[in-house]
Amino acid sequence: MIGLLALTVLGPLLLAVLAWLLPGERLARHLCLLGALLTFGIGGHALLQCAAHPGAFVLQEQHPWSQAFGIGFAFGVDGIGAAMLLLSGLITAVATILAWHQQDRSRLWHALVLLLLAGMNGVFTALDLVLFYVCWEVVLLPMLLLIGIWGGEQRRYAAIKFFVYTLAGSVGMLFLIVALWANTEPAGQQIALDVTARTWLSLPADALQMTLPRGFDLRHLALQWHVWHQQTLLGVPLSTFGFWAVMLACLVKVPAVPLHTWLPHAHVQAPTAISVLLAGVLLKLGVYGLYRIAWPLFPVEAAAFAPTLGWIGVAGILWGALVALGQTDLKRLVAYSSVSHMGFCLLGLAAGTVAGATGGIVQAFTHGLSSALLFLLVGVLYDRAHHRRIDGFGGLARPMPKFAWLLLLAALAGAGLPGLAGFPGEFLVLTGAFTAGGRWPWLGLLATGSVVLSAAYLLWTQMRVAYGPLRHPEHQDFADCDARERLAAAPLVLLLLVIGIWPGPLVDVLRAPCELLLHHVQGARP
Amino acid sequence: MGSPPRQWQSPPGLSLWQAIAVLRNGTVRGPHFTWLDLSAFTLEVGVFADPMGAILAVLVCLLATAVLLFNRWYMHDDPLAGRFPWQFCGFLFAMLGVVLSDNLFLSFCCWELVGLGSYLLIGFWFDKPAAADDPDYQARKGANARGVAEATLSPAHAQLKAFVINRVGDAGFLLGIGALLCLALANGGTGNVLGFDQLATLQPAEVTFLGLSGTMLLTLAALGVFCGAIGKSAQFPLHTWLPDAMQGPTTASSIIHAATMVAAGVFLVARCLPFFPPEALTVVGCLGGITCLLAAVIACVQWDLKAVLAYSTISQLGLMFVGLGAGTAAGGQAAALAHLFTHALFKCLLFLGAGAVIHACHGHQDLHRLGGLRKAMPVTAMTSLLAVLAIAGVPLFSGFYSKDAVLAAALLHAQTNGGLAWAPLLLAAAGSLLTAGYMLRWWLRIFALRARQSGITDHAHDPEGAAKWVLMLLATGTLALPFTAGDWLDHALLAPHDEHHHAAHSTAMVLALGLLAVGAATAWWIWFRAPRRQQDLAGMLAQRLATLHRAAAELFWLDALQARLFGRTLGRDLAATTARLDLGSRARIERLEHDRAPAELTSLDGLIDGIGRGCAGLGAGAATAHSGRIGVYLALAALLSTAALLVLVLR
Repeated sequence: MIGLLALTVLGPLLLAVLAWLLPGERLARHLCLLGALLTFGIGGHALLQCAAHPGAFVLQEQHPWSQAFGIGFAFGVDGIGAAMLLLSGLITAVATILAWHQQDRSRLWHALVLLLLAGMNGVFTALDLVLFYVCWEVVLLPMLLLIGIWGGEQRRYAAIKFFVYTLAGSVGMLFLIVALWANTEPAGQQIALDVTARTWLSLPADALQMTLPRGFDLRHLALQWHVWHQQTLLGVPLSTFGFWAVMLACLVKVPAVPLHTWLPHAHVQAPTAISVLLAGVLLKLGVYGLYRIAWPLFPVEAAAFAPTLGWIGVAGILWGALVALGQTDLKRLVAYSSVSHMGFCLLGLAAGTVAGATGGIVQAFTHGLSSALLFLLVGVLYDRAHHRRIDGFGGLARPMPKFAWLLLLAALAGAGLPGLAGFPGEFLVLTGAFTAGGRWPWLGLLATGSVVLSAAYLLWTQMRVAYGPLRHPEHQDFADCDARERLAAAPLVLLLLVIGIWPGPLVDVLRAPCELLLHHVQGARP
Repeated sequence: MGSPPRQWQSPPGLSLWQAIAVLRNGTVRGPHFTWLDLSAFTLEVGVFADPMGAILAVLVCLLATAVLLFNRWYMHDDPLAGRFPWQFCGFLFAMLGVVLSDNLFLSFCCWELVGLGSYLLIGFWFDKPAAADDPDYQARKGANARGVAEATLSPAHAQLKAFVINRVGDAGFLLGIGALLCLALANGGTGNVLGFDQLATLQPAEVTFLGLSGTMLLTLAALGVFCGAIGKSAQFPLHTWLPDAMQGPTTASSIIHAATMVAAGVFLVARCLPFFPPEALTVVGCLGGITCLLAAVIACVQWDLKAVLAYSTISQLGLMFVGLGAGTAAGGQAAALAHLFTHALFKCLLFLGAGAVIHACHGHQDLHRLGGLRKAMPVTAMTSLLAVLAIAGVPLFSGFYSKDAVLAAALLHAQTNGGLAWAPLLLAAAGSLLTAGYMLRWWLRIFALRARQSGITDHAHDPEGAAKWVLMLLATGTLALPFTAGDWLDHALLAPHDEHHHAAHSTAMVLALGLLAVGAATAWWIWFRAPRRQQDLAGMLAQRLATLHRAAAELFWLDALQARLFGRTLGRDLAATTARLDLGSRARIERLEHDRAPAELTSLDGLIDGIGRGCAGLGAGAATAHSGRIGVYLALAALLSTAALLVLVLR
């Protein structure tokens, strides 16, 4: 019998097959929406469970796959996974509503979106490294096709660039899996359990020791990090190779400067709904990978690399913001704002304080909402004007007042205004950096530069697009956001406001696993 | 006073009644929640009302009501008028949040929301073109309007400028919060470490932050908070947004300039004064003094009737910071707050009067062309005159009472500390001298003499209905009596009373009266007596002091400098350069849209494409090796075996 989390993967997979095979375009989009709402619902349920069991993995299930290699269909989510699952369902639903009138090969489209959803859910719910890796790669294929088939004029270039870039990044993970398998003790390890381990494994407080079975369960791997730290290859600890393999995969996905240049191309060429998915969920895979694989499995390397990662984060924050300021294309501007915002996730995790690490993942979640809304609104404009040049607009607040208010909301959320969801993450990361001691306040200081820069590029865009006198008389007849567009924006707006005003419940759920993670990393001594 | 704070679990009322309760019984605490729990510390939201908060809250609500009433008349034919009340109330909500917040974190949140409120109000007429592109404006103003830099920005531009410049200050504020957190945690603080009562007892700690520790760190934290105030309260060098903020409706200006936005900075610094070390106070005082004088000089040469008021606001805010810089012991905090309250009333009145004039003269706001309006608009003229007398500091008016207190505090502070502490006092005195001058000039130019251009003031009339009553009601607030009766304000603000203070007050009073007399007499001479005798004293003076006049008319090049810095250096050059380094030259980006992207080694993306090309080329090269020609294989074999031999031999 399969449980809820397996359902978030198998359900969309099955629906994808149905959507593709069964006749009827309308059926396909309804199936797609069903898959998204299913994920959203299960994500919500999982979040509630996580709130009741802070830090633990809930809704766990285990199905055998290859017992000889210890690979299993192991699912389970802690607060981070549950929040990401919720986000994945929500953003897919938004994207489906946006693409509701998809005309061209719509069954294939919806099938691919469902496949994508299955892959993303698999990444967020997997507790097994092999399963994680498989889902991680599964995500690439539908994305390649969605951009490559339905994209803009340069779709092939953008799609292939995206594919090669991310594949090249993640191929090291395969090496990691093989290397780990080859180097674990056949009989497993007898290890002492601390509070982190007990919470992760849902063991009672009196469990002090256990023998870890051989396999790819992420928690077991994390608890025997020292095994491959002691083994060397070419004189370098095996774990160093593993760490870099994972880091490369994640940093490309995040994307971290200087590995980010696939993103603007992919965004510019992708259709609106796919841009929404890309910014809303796909970038979070990278951050999630850092929290779930890189930091737990390789704590020593992670601690050593953290300062550099902090600098990478700050570089991303400032570089992304400056490049965004210099853009003339709306989608490219939002893409670079993503680079800037995702830099906060890296800085937060690297700073190694509870506030920072929690802030990093909160930022990942809320950036999913605000960037999705921004791309949605850019799509609204593109549908009407068929171009995305910022200087080709002006004064749209008169013909499209609802659009202008939504754009302002999205811009302010992106700029981290208190009361909107962009604020808690950014603020927590900054306080995390300021209170981390050592050189970290300097990084925090540099990161505050984005307070000015993000306001500048987002509100400047708002001014050039929405305010001032109407620049192009033909825009006078533009219709304001219609019911479908408003329906797609509504959940994003609602969550932006709710999380902005009362982030407590979400942050509490996310904080518990972050505390455990930091405890694990800080307790790891080579 | 002094009784333990009462716990009060209903939302604290903002009414006068409850403010009186606060004044009589001491601090009232409202609801308080934990916003985020981060193990090491918590971020909380909660409200409380102490005397200074309660008085400002009442003032905010009072002036807001007055402005809303006035606005019904002012906007009666504006199609966007329906938006005004809710935007205005959102702004008020944020301001009251700053005033009543019981911790620095909530203050920061509301602080940012105040910024948003002002953003919306300044850009209220969002589709109005920039004055430079507006033929209607040019027809009214004449092509060569002097000293009106504000007029070159559209409301949409002005709101952006205000928000971004405020954000510069806020970045400093965030840094200050970071430093405070660091200090508090190093002191062993837990829980609500940003609560004002915990901050008040903050001690320097041995923790290094940005290379600073101990008192230096505390100074940094204090200056961080002050940096936020520099932005919100329009202090040098971030004051440039305030004059441009006049692109919003005049009624919005009247509340922004009076009790809300600009008051937030002064109020917050007053709130945080307990942990400000002396070094930070010196900076506060000196920067306040510089602002006070600088803005007063600029105000003397402005020709836009709202611009004069805007710079006078900046100048008066500088005066308040001079007071704050004198510290609590010298009575500076109480004096600055008193001046904040009195200034709020008369500045609101001045702006409403200006709004009435602009409305009556169909949008004309050039002091060159107005004049003689006292006959057509007697109520506006009289109420404005009262406000002018108050801001100039004439005895019996409120401004005299509070300005005297500020100067006395600064004097006492200077006498105690000597050295650099004299600077704020001297700068403030010079600023006060000019205040009397430029405000009288303002009033004389609008209301006295006779109209300089026909057709503008012909149909002028006073505001009607409630708007008129609002002016008259506010005019009673320009008198000193409502503030000094029974010394209630001094008691509420805990102004110190002892012999030193009395002596300082006496000296300051003489000083203030002297400055007032000189300033007012000069203004009367230049702008009333001379014009009646067909003399152009002002023009002569401008020629004599050509350099200073030019500098002031050019706003000391600060606006130009900032426009260059933000608009050109940051917004254009730096952004374009990074964009070029990232994605490639314009030509490459254009080709990217339609064509195979050229590799380009000078940009990141081009470089990565180049690597891709290189790999593809390598593959193609390797493919040619598999050509099937025996010669190639032999050559390869020979080459490789030679290499292998060489390696073996050389080892």
